[in-house]
Amino acid sequence: MNTISVQNIQKSFAGKPALKDVSFDIPKGEIFGFLGPSGSGKTTLLKILTAQLDPTSGSATVLDKPAKLMQKTDQKRRFGILTDNSGLYERLTIEENLELFRGLYDLPKSSIDKVLNFVNLTADRKKRISVLSKGMRQRVTLACAIIHEPEMLFLDEPTSALDPVNTAHIHKGLRYLNENGTTIFLTTHDMTEAETLCERVAILHKGEIRAIGAPAELKKTHRDGTLTVELTSGQSERLPMNENSATQVANWMSQGQIDRIYTNELSLGDIFIKLTGSELV
Amino acid sequence: MNVSLKRIQAIIVKDYKEFSRNYAISVMILFPLLFAFMYRSDGAEQATMYAFVINFSLAMLTSFVQACLIAEEKERNTLRSLMMTPASMLDVLIGKSALVFIISAAVLALSTYTFGYDTSNMMVLVAAIGISILLYTAVGTICGLYSKTLIEASLSIFPVLIIFTMGPFALVFEEDYPFVKVLRYLPSSQLSELLNALEIGATTNELIINLVIISMWAIVLTVISFVLYKKRLMDR
Repeated sequence: MNTISVQNIQKSFAGKPALKDVSFDIPKGEIFGFLGPSGSGKTTLLKILTAQLDPTSGSATVLDKPAKLMQKTDQKRRFGILTDNSGLYERLTIEENLELFRGLYDLPKSSIDKVLNFVNLTADRKKRISVLSKGMRQRVTLACAIIHEPEMLFLDEPTSALDPVNTAHIHKGLRYLNENGTTIFLTTHDMTEAETLCERVAILHKGEIRAIGAPAELKKTHRDGTLTVELTSGQSERLPMNENSATQVANWMSQGQIDRIYTNELSLGDIFIKLTGSELV
Repeated sequence: MNVSLKRIQAIIVKDYKEFSRNYAISVMILFPLLFAFMYRSDGAEQATMYAFVINFSLAMLTSFVQACLIAEEKERNTLRSLMMTPASMLDVLIGKSALVFIISAAVLALSTYTFGYDTSNMMVLVAAIGISILLYTAVGTICGLYSKTLIEASLSIFPVLIIFTMGPFALVFEEDYPFVKVLRYLPSSQLSELLNALEIGATTNELIINLVIISMWAIVLTVISFVLYKKRLMDR
């Protein structure tokens, strides 16, 4: 069963295409990453899926309803969204910001304690947003997006400009949410994030999907069919994977000359460059 | 119509906390009281001066505060965050307008007391000021939605302040410049006319036309603010 189904979505701004014939499905319970550099159309697609933007053509369903209905109150209860410009009320405390969202979703008071515990901000609940670090603000924004325990979570660059500790904290929280049934749609240009967090990724370039699949599958598809042998002498050999190489490796091995041996796989970043001819920034 | 009292209440409580901690905006509640104190009188010009104080207060307090509250939410992207919650357009607009309405009503009541204005037809006075608060709240919403920043919003109020507050005074030139007669239909001119008529003992029936014109302004501007809100905050 798919939580998101996108069929031939196209979007143009003043005649300039931003998305070209984009199609994919996201099954329930998956963490799906949309990879692409700034301006590749990631945020445009996220806005279409949350009914903030109409597509020029094509269709999409989210949580079994047409995406254009995502702004209906009943549907808005079913998803949460965190974007890089999600705002917080600077003069209010963390708790007061969450109190607003609790009221808007009509949730019990205990939901605030629960979500604060989840983002590890219980001790800071009385602090004003204006004094928080970027990492803490991002955790509060995430708390606002998940306070109602949504079935579907949209994340637009959730860890951009965060330090590794805060990034790890947010990743841990997202995995926990996913284990409890939340489907996650995430846009990012961070390859490590995509690789460690996502079950499947789509590579988007200039509005087109260039590749889609599990990170391991993509690496397998795009590996170059060579292996590297590092010898105890400090020499390194790159060999094609064939019978001759196997004999050569066996010889080195019998003489105890092999220090390290590994297949040469491309990273997701390398695959992106290979497919698009451009850097992922 | 998708309206929830709980959601409206959540927005009012949040706005109240923000307003009370934002001294640059909350200080505006002092101006109507200051003007009422400065211009208080019981002479022949009492109704005219009272109308000036009320019209000035409506622009300077109601429209200004509303414009700033809306523009700040836009500037900080919190309005977009609100829209992604179950809060409907009406929840947000009613919630955001309710605080300004309550504050304006309380401050104008206090200003009226400070000024020393009294009338035998309090019902018409309350209705006229109540409708005017709605109208000026809509003006503030429009200015806030048109502005990209808080500074832009605070500057956008000046044309409103000049036209609506000074409009009734420009009517003294209507014999020399007939086009000035159009200013007679400004809500501020209608309020001024109504207050002057109240002073000479006009009946409620005689004041209906003034109330209708002010109400029409309120309805039209409220509709415009709703349409603009929908248009401005979606990327369609």
